[in-house]
Amino acid sequence: MNSYHWDELSEGLSHEFEVQLTQSMQQDFLELSGDQNPLHTDGKFAKHAGFRDVVAYGMLTSALYSTLVGIYLPGRYCLLQGIDLDFVNPAFLEDRLRVAGSISYLNQAYRRAEVKASIHNGAGQLISRAKIRVGVHEH
Amino acid sequence: MPKMLSQLEPIFRDILDNSRLNLTRESNASNVAGWDSLAHINLISAIEQQFEISFTLGELQELRNVGEMIDLMERKLAMR
Repeated sequence: MNSYHWDELSEGLSHEFEVQLTQSMQQDFLELSGDQNPLHTDGKFAKHAGFRDVVAYGMLTSALYSTLVGIYLPGRYCLLQGIDLDFVNPAFLEDRLRVAGSISYLNQAYRRAEVKASIHNGAGQLISRAKIRVGVHEH
Repeated sequence: MPKMLSQLEPIFRDILDNSRLNLTRESNASNVAGWDSLAHINLISAIEQQFEISFTLGELQELRNVGEMIDLMERKLAMR
C-alpha cells in the first residue's frame, strides 16, 4: 500500500495495476449486492441481449477505482469524496483489466486531489472512465 | 447580470444540481439550498480549474458570500 502524504502529491503522478475478473468475484458481488439481474447470471439471457456472455457487474469493476485511490493514489491517507463514472463497454468474466489513474488537479486549500482514471480490458478496449475526488487526511 | 456572476451561475447550478438557481452577490451557504461543506469544496475546485486561479484556506475562510468571492477572483485575475 502506498502512503503518499499531501506534500508528496503532484499533478501527473500516476499508478496502475491489473486484476483478472473471476466467476468467484461475480458470485461474491451477487451475494453482496442482491442484484440478480440475469444479464449477470444467465449466459443465454446475455447472448439474447446481444452480449457474448454474462456481463460483469459494472459496479464490480468500478470497485477497482476504490482500490486505485485507497491502495495506490494516494493510498493509506485517502478519503474518497466522490466519483463521476461512465461505463463505455461491457467487461466479461476472465477479462484481465488494467486500472490506471493520474492526478489531474490538486486543491491546496482543502487538500483534495482529483484523479482521472480508466479501466481497459486486455485488448485495450476502454471499459470505463472516471473522475475521482479524494481528500488526503493527516495520520 | 454582471459578467462574473453570469460565469459563476452555471457552475453553481451544475454542482448544486439546481437548474433554476439564481445566483446573486448575496448568495451564501445559508441561503442557497444544497450548499453544504462537500458542495463547497466542489464549487471551489470547479472555480479554480475554470478560471485557472487558486485560493488559500485563509482567503476562503474570510468570504461571506458570492459577492466577496467575485471581488477576490477579480483581484487575482487582475494580477495575472
